[in-house]
Amino acid sequence: MTEIQLLDTAAAASALTAVPGSARGFLGVDPVTQNHALLVRELTRLGAQVFRTGDTLLGYLPNEVQPRQAYVASTSPDPEPLRGFLDFLGTYQRCTSFVALVPADSPPVVALRDCGFTQVGTLREHRYQSGAYQDVSVYFVRGEDTCRS
Amino acid sequence: MTLRGYRSADLPLLSGPWLAGELLGLPLEQPPAMVAPAAVEAPKDNTVELCVLPGAAFVCFTELDWVHRRARLEIGVQPGAEDVVTALLKTAVSHGFRVLNLHRLYGWVTPAAAVPVALLQDAGFSCEATIPAGRWIAGRPVDRQIWGAVRHD
Repeated sequence: MTEIQLLDTAAAASALTAVPGSARGFLGVDPVTQNHALLVRELTRLGAQVFRTGDTLLGYLPNEVQPRQAYVASTSPDPEPLRGFLDFLGTYQRCTSFVALVPADSPPVVALRDCGFTQVGTLREHRYQSGAYQDVSVYFVRGEDTCRS
Repeated sequence: MTLRGYRSADLPLLSGPWLAGELLGLPLEQPPAMVAPAAVEAPKDNTVELCVLPGAAFVCFTELDWVHRRARLEIGVQPGAEDVVTALLKTAVSHGFRVLNLHRLYGWVTPAAAVPVALLQDAGFSCEATIPAGRWIAGRPVDRQIWGAVRHD
């Protein structure tokens, strides 16, 4: 597995801005319509952590009401970085299930499906982009139970 | 029925024996032991729209997003005021769509808390996603749903 590097919030905002197209809807932020300061504020408000693996950015957001569940996001259709990231979260955050909210038909959907995610719902007209409301798909996967306690 | 803005004298309405963060927080018959009552914070800025039905309930529009024109709806009803729920839901949806001019309202529903889904459907909501093990209650993970209402006009 390649190295996973945690970015601070300012670096994360810059990195998201550098890949604007594939990062739209990344943990709910939008680097096309939001500037650097707003991205930093949103990521801080959410309590999101952004990691880098190679050219891929990966996002982690804990579920406040279920400590074993995490929201994840990726900027790449390549499943390998995401697969490694899920292993990483399972090991170090003891996450046993993962949820991803992605705009329908966005590039990361391919990676999610390859990593075993299944679609568990669609949020109707959840985003406004390019002059129209768009659906957001909800994906879910159960990781291996790594809790040994 | 009309909602009015939150005032500091309404603080007791903001906490009660329901599940935190629910679309429709009704008093639980048997609240989990050792769990503090749910509470929402008094608004500090304009990122939250908090209204109250005096003496009965609060209605909170949180995660307000003026670009996507959506908000997460959170309602908490005080014990003894359950008979206002039907009208309150419709008033809250109307407030979100007509007063705040939003396009979409959504919220979390935990089926394990015996939520009256018929009331939600009457108010225009429908179940859009079911997330397995999305919430931890009484020592076990339970499913959690996202219900949403979209304005079409």
